Amino acid sequence: MDTMNETIKQAPLLEARNLTKVYEDGVKALDNLDLQVLPGEIYAMLGGNGAGKTTTINIFLDFIQPTSGQAFINGINANEEPLEAKTNIAFVSENVQLYPNFTAIQNVDFFVRLGGRHNYSRSDYETALNRVGLQSQAFDKKLKDFSKGMRQKCGIAIAILKDSPAILLDEPTSGLDPKAGKEFIRLIGELRDEGKGILMSTHDIFRAKEIANHVGILNNGILVAQKTQAELKGVNLETLYVEYMAGYMDEAEPSLVNNLSEA
Amino acid sequence: MTKLLIEKELKNILLSPKFVATFLVCSILILTSVYIGIQEYHNAVTQFEANQQIARQDIEQASNWNRVRNIAHRAPSPMQVFVSGLHFDIGRLSGISDFQDIKLIRSPYSDETLFAIFRFIDFAFIVQVVLSLFAILFTYDAINGERENGTLKLTFANSVSRAQYLISKFVGIWLGLIVPLLIPILIGLLLIMILDVPVSGTEWISIGSFIGLSVLYITFFIGVGILVSSLTRKSSLSFLLLLVIWIGGVLILPRMSIMAAGQLVPVQSVAQLESKQEAFRRARWDQYSSQLSQKWRARSEEMSGMTNEERQAYRDDKEWEWLEEDDAARKQVQIDITDNNRKLIEETDNRKKIQEQLAFNLARISPASSFRLAAMNLAGTDIDMKNRYEESMRAYRDDFVEYTEQKQAESGNQGGFRINVSSDSGVKIDFGRDDQTLDTSGMPQYTAPVVTAGMAVSSSILDFGLMGIFIIIIFGAAFLAFLRYDMR
Ligand SMILES: Nc1ncnc2c1ncn2[C@@H]1O[C@H](COP(=O)(O)OP(=O)(O)OP(=O)(O)O)[C@@H](O)[C@H]1O
Ligand SMILES: [Mg+2]
Repeated sequence: MDTMNETIKQAPLLEARNLTKVYEDGVKALDNLDLQVLPGEIYAMLGGNGAGKTTTINIFLDFIQPTSGQAFINGINANEEPLEAKTNIAFVSENVQLYPNFTAIQNVDFFVRLGGRHNYSRSDYETALNRVGLQSQAFDKKLKDFSKGMRQKCGIAIAILKDSPAILLDEPTSGLDPKAGKEFIRLIGELRDEGKGILMSTHDIFRAKEIANHVGILNNGILVAQKTQAELKGVNLETLYVEYMAGYMDEAEPSLVNNLSEA
Repeated sequence: MTKLLIEKELKNILLSPKFVATFLVCSILILTSVYIGIQEYHNAVTQFEANQQIARQDIEQASNWNRVRNIAHRAPSPMQVFVSGLHFDIGRLSGISDFQDIKLIRSPYSDETLFAIFRFIDFAFIVQVVLSLFAILFTYDAINGERENGTLKLTFANSVSRAQYLISKFVGIWLGLIVPLLIPILIGLLLIMILDVPVSGTEWISIGSFIGLSVLYITFFIGVGILVSSLTRKSSLSFLLLLVIWIGGVLILPRMSIMAAGQLVPVQSVAQLESKQEAFRRARWDQYSSQLSQKWRARSEEMSGMTNEERQAYRDDKEWEWLEEDDAARKQVQIDITDNNRKLIEETDNRKKIQEQLAFNLARISPASSFRLAAMNLAGTDIDMKNRYEESMRAYRDDFVEYTEQKQAESGNQGGFRINVSSDSGVKIDFGRDDQTLDTSGMPQYTAPVVTAGMAVSSSILDFGLMGIFIIIIFGAAFLAFLRYDMR
């Protein structure tokens, strides 16, 4: 692999090793997944519904145990020492839900302190909420009146404020309006530049190509393709994606794909 | 971290509409109940004192110590404000005299049947039924609600241990439910003091223990709610399950245990008992009369072969002896019948006690019954109250009878009336001292049986222990369930 040299220099913040998950009902959601996210990198997981993206993230969060293989956060096994591992991670789900009776600020305050950051002031919370683009009139409104996008923004603000080395994002832009989506991509770009390692699942191929250092395509739990940003230059990722998903291609013939999409 | 989670839980409860509703409903219920209970108590005291006065006057106006009819009254206790127990169902008074047994009659509800329809809701009922329901309302979605909400995932994306979370959940809900409840309870206690209810030191201990017991009972239901919530994925399901558990535990189980005990230890009915007594009585008299005729046959045999004069002389000689012999035999029959009656009653009573004990012990499977039994024991309005009163009234009856007999002797009257027949004055019936009131000074006064704090507490210690065990089991189970809970 071409990232081999970098791996030796820098320990990955997020790493999956031969990660396999077979659910109780026999569904193989992940099949020998290997991936690494280094500091200052964004890894975008693409894949259709049911490809295994959420399963991967749930294993990192220790919500489910892998059938075999390991997941590491900052070198700590996420399923053996979950408490230790989770101090190194922030998480934004595809549908951020907060306490409906608390205001935005109260929610942010609670979850940020739960994440171990106790010395923020109200103005820090306001700054973060401004940064994710939540209108300031909503800061002291109860969450029950928030739209999905507004909740999503609060979730992102919490992740930013937690200031952990690794970040897990499960379709974070779902529910965001185009402006907010664009804003968000700029934001995680900033976080990456601060040295965070970000693993993000998304259906947004264009944004993935625009921002991600690595793009992985999952199909039925198998990582069918993994490309660096450089490799994707000039490639029509959409075509590539559709073709991988349709099963036209497999990893044995990547050059064909490149040729096709460049044509 | 734990502190943060507890704070959040508390804040979440305090901000929720169900908290305001619960707090208002509980405050109104508790305060109304205590207030009405106090009024009831004062009324009962007034009635009690008036009745005592009347009984006293009746005695003073009796013509003769032998004709005195005394009545002992059950004294109202401040504890009935909190735990009315059997207070309204057990008779208020019993006649005291040497020819009738003690029997408590005229219960408050038999005198005021209207109130029996809508029974007085006491504090114990509010805790047992209403607060346990609220405890469920506060906890049915404790875990699965946060899962449905999505906040469980977000919380556990942080370095939070399940144990820490569950403990915080429990402590938060506990504080959010119990502490607000203590406010109306304390106001209720204040009412007790302001409205001049004479509560003794012993009774304060009982009240304190009772409040402690209530807290344990509610804690148990908080545990049940959290357990079911961590065994289910959906709060709608856990609510339904908890309702079923609540109905089973609070309403059905206690009654079922009574029925089961009735089946397992059958006790004969009063009618059965009486027919047994009657059968014995008849058989015994039959035996007596056949023995008597046998005896006379033997006696006449002894005289066979005698001349008429000899026979007459023999008969004159033996007559007194035979008379005494027959009389003794008749007396023996009476004694045997009385003994048998007593024995049968005792047997029934013992069986009844065994049945009762079995029913209670079976009922204790449900903490609701455990709570109720302990509350009544602490308040002294338990099933034993009747026995205690009857026993103390029996002891009083002995004192009283002894006193009247002594008084009678002093007055030179042998009892009943005396019929003097003399040739010059004709027949004169003497009732003793007709037109003076009797001097009742020094007459023994009936005092209610004392229930010491030690007795009250020791009779409820089993239930305290059971409640503790229940709570530990439930929390252990909730803990295990939550350790395996799927956060997604
Ligand atoms: N608890 C479960 N039990 C059984 N199978 C499951 C469970 N959760 C997920 N699966 C299955 O595992 C596979 C992967 O699901 P996963 O949620 O990881 O997909 P995803 O890539 O996140 O999809 P989406 O884009 O729709 O979010 C699917 O086939 C799904 O049906
Ligand atoms: Mg998903």
